[in-house]
Amino acid sequence: MAKKDDSPDGLKLDRRNFFKTTGLAGLAESIAAPAEAAAQSTPAAVGPGDVPVRLNVNGRQIDLMIEPRVTLLDALRTRANLTGNKKGCDRGACGACTMIVDGRPVYSCSTLAIEVQGKQIRNVDGLATGDRLHPVQQAFCEKDALMCGFCTPGFIMASVALLEKNPNATPEQIKKGLDGNICRCGTFSRIFEAVSSVKGGQRG
Amino acid sequence: MANSEFDWPAKPSLVGTRVNRVDGPDKVTGRAKYTFDINRPGMLYARMVRSPYPHARVVSVDLAPALRMPGVKTALLVRDFANSKNNRVMFQGDEIAAVAADTEEHAMDAARAVKVEYEVLPHVTIVERALDGTAPAVFNGGNVRDARPAQAGDLTAGFAAAAKVVEGTYSTQVITHTCMESHGTVCEWSGDRLTAWISTQGVSGARENFASALGIPQANVRVLCQYMGGGFGSKALSVGAEGLMCAKLAKAANAPVKLMLDRKEEHLATGNRPSAESKIKAGVSADGTITAFEAESWGTGGAGATSDFPLPYLYQSKNRSRTHKNVFTNTGQQRPMRAPGHPQGSFHTEIIMDELADQVNMDPIQFRIKNLPPEAPNAMWRSYLLEGAAEFGWSKRHATGDKTPGPIKTGMGVSINTWGGGGRGPSPAHCEITSDGGVIMRLGTQDIGTGTRTLVATITADALGLRASQVRPEIGDTAFGVSALSGGSTTAASISPGIRVAAVKALDALKEKVAPALGVPAASLIASGGRIHVENEPGKGMSWADACKQIGPQPITADGDWRAGMSSSTTSGAQFAEVAVDIETGIVKVKRILVLQDCGLVVSRLTAESQVYGGVIGSLNFALFEDRILDRNTGQMLNPNMEWYLLAGMSDIPRIDVRLKDQPERGVIGLGEPPTVATAAAIALAVRNATGVTMRSLPLTPAKVLGAMRQTRA
Ligand code: FES
Ligand code: FES
Repeated sequence: MAKKDDSPDGLKLDRRNFFKTTGLAGLAESIAAPAEAAAQSTPAAVGPGDVPVRLNVNGRQIDLMIEPRVTLLDALRTRANLTGNKKGCDRGACGACTMIVDGRPVYSCSTLAIEVQGKQIRNVDGLATGDRLHPVQQAFCEKDALMCGFCTPGFIMASVALLEKNPNATPEQIKKGLDGNICRCGTFSRIFEAVSSVKGGQRG
Repeated sequence: MANSEFDWPAKPSLVGTRVNRVDGPDKVTGRAKYTFDINRPGMLYARMVRSPYPHARVVSVDLAPALRMPGVKTALLVRDFANSKNNRVMFQGDEIAAVAADTEEHAMDAARAVKVEYEVLPHVTIVERALDGTAPAVFNGGNVRDARPAQAGDLTAGFAAAAKVVEGTYSTQVITHTCMESHGTVCEWSGDRLTAWISTQGVSGARENFASALGIPQANVRVLCQYMGGGFGSKALSVGAEGLMCAKLAKAANAPVKLMLDRKEEHLATGNRPSAESKIKAGVSADGTITAFEAESWGTGGAGATSDFPLPYLYQSKNRSRTHKNVFTNTGQQRPMRAPGHPQGSFHTEIIMDELADQVNMDPIQFRIKNLPPEAPNAMWRSYLLEGAAEFGWSKRHATGDKTPGPIKTGMGVSINTWGGGGRGPSPAHCEITSDGGVIMRLGTQDIGTGTRTLVATITADALGLRASQVRPEIGDTAFGVSALSGGSTTAASISPGIRVAAVKALDALKEKVAPALGVPAASLIASGGRIHVENEPGKGMSWADACKQIGPQPITADGDWRAGMSSSTTSGAQFAEVAVDIETGIVKVKRILVLQDCGLVVSRLTAESQVYGGVIGSLNFALFEDRILDRNTGQMLNPNMEWYLLAGMSDIPRIDVRLKDQPERGVIGLGEPPTVATAAAIALAVRNATGVTMRSLPLTPAKVLGAMRQTRA
């Protein structure tokens, strides 16, 4: 969490207190544009106890009472029984927890749940439509791109994010796009094959 | 072996084909529930308290501050330090206590609040200091233990017969299993009955473990492991301190408890592959025969654990001697890790093989062939070396040292491997066929990621003439019968015979039901293509569904067990590597790996190949990246995480070609370990071939590669 005010406009005021005293909490949006800067701004002081957090996960609204320090990964795994995405390292190094937030892959173990309110969160539990697998999931099954399967949900979400952004990713782009994920069983060759076989959301 | 109806079929319909992993859909959707995913009503979260010091006396432990923390329900010591003679902690991460609270965050806070007073004691974590006697004496009976020496022939005569002699010091590092799912357990009591979900390589062994440690009958313990995120040997032998603490906390709190370790604990306290160092002196005659092999070796398996490994590995020398020292250090104990001992033995032996070959100007493959034991079904290295050489383009390999101008040098290397992987009983399997056509194959084994469910479904469906998806494999539960642990590549060879026997017996019973309806003798019937019909007359029969309607309300049940002759032991394999080395940066890039590997009868080809990919990549990690790094002063691990404990990512993976060498006549043999033995040596030898510099120490970090080149030039 940024401790000092790092707003681009050089405001020296402690923004948190400024908003508190003026009661203009809604101002945050207008001052802190563009969106990138908003993401960096200090959120209002909350906690240390449980606070209400409203998440939009797989198109469903989930209301939780959690401590502000709870990560997105733990919030879903331990409070919403969405256990599809796994915890491998809990510090942004293995990718097992990869979810898609507003279209971008994130390490949900290193993202606070409270910070992604109002965003569209997708994890692996919501990827298939009923019994119909997403093309990436289908490809993983066909190419045997998994062994123990513990890293698999993270790889799948990273692959989906990659292909949604770049449906015709080149081999180099696929490798780069998945370099943030680790598989200890060593399924990389077949993950690469699987992702390469999915083109534009269609089976290639 | 006399022919029997249980023999593996000469023309299998599914066995040996590429059946998609049957639990793939559950894993890719997140529906598969691992121990880490088990959430029980009212469940508490637990954390361990561990020593930060490699060696200390526990003076006192005060749990009271932890018990006052928000949400905390209970806290327990792993033992009564105040009244125990055993009041020392012997490695960083050694267990002290455990706490349980309503949330994971509260449990973490509480673990930090436990007040432990330590008297820090001198430690030994540096192997050389233990060996040269400058380390403090920590272990009763000494820090260094001699293993039994081995001797054969006459070394002096052997060296006298040598035209050339090579001497070198070789070393491989400590690595940790780093399973993606950490060790952990969920325990729930109902009276004096315990249900434990645990990430384990052996549910049967875990049941025995819990029962004996908790003083309750095994009949009162049910252990479940439906899915697990890797074990590689670290989850094979016991439920661990964390497993027992989980059960005890659950009892004390009268609530289900989940205790999963974090990544740091995994590196510190759940096993590792021991280090290995050796001083080898070997002689070779002018015709390329190894005349003498003299090796002294040592290594650390941690606090009170051994570190032995085979040396020489596979190659023969009539005259040889070997000594080994087990060096005890204040570090976490080793546990079996994928092909225990073999990767070390392979590296130490294969490197000097190429050095010897160069001394007598022989091609490394010719040199190996000259010094291998005779060819046999379980010792096919000669054939695989020659066949692999042809496919890999070995003839294009240049002599040691790439003379191409520019900083990028390429090279090739080769290395071989073996492993046992035999099967054994008891390994009962139970088959049910129900009147609605359902087939259940139930056994108490577990899937550590290899694809056990797929193997169960494949063998069963093959025997019954069905598709794999028509069989429901039920495993991972002590309620399904006893089973051996999944370790040492023994699972497939242990469980496959019993599955086939049970399926064939069940089919026989079904034939008896169907025969009267068809008006033919039961013995004339076979099952194929989803039908039961008269052999060679597919029209004279009925569909599987109709056949099963003859069963009636009581399902057909049949039991099978392991049978000699349907599985065997000992594999052979060879691996080729090509690398590119940037001699300005020292960066090694593996370009290609070719694997030739047998494992008897291939049951499930797709998952078997995946095992090979995984083994190769594991060994590539050993060659280039992995290293447990300890602070030389504090003895603490500097990289207990996954960002500085390096592992290959997608961009580091070479092209890997897998050639499974079928030997169906030998029956089923395991495949988990063999492919992870040879890759590291093949890569290091390829680096030697590229740079002209012998790399005698793993991992091949850029710094080491540059250092070795500098030393050679000087
Ligand atoms: S658990 Fe999030 S990156 Fe490893
Ligand atoms: S499949 Fe086991 S970690 Fe990737």
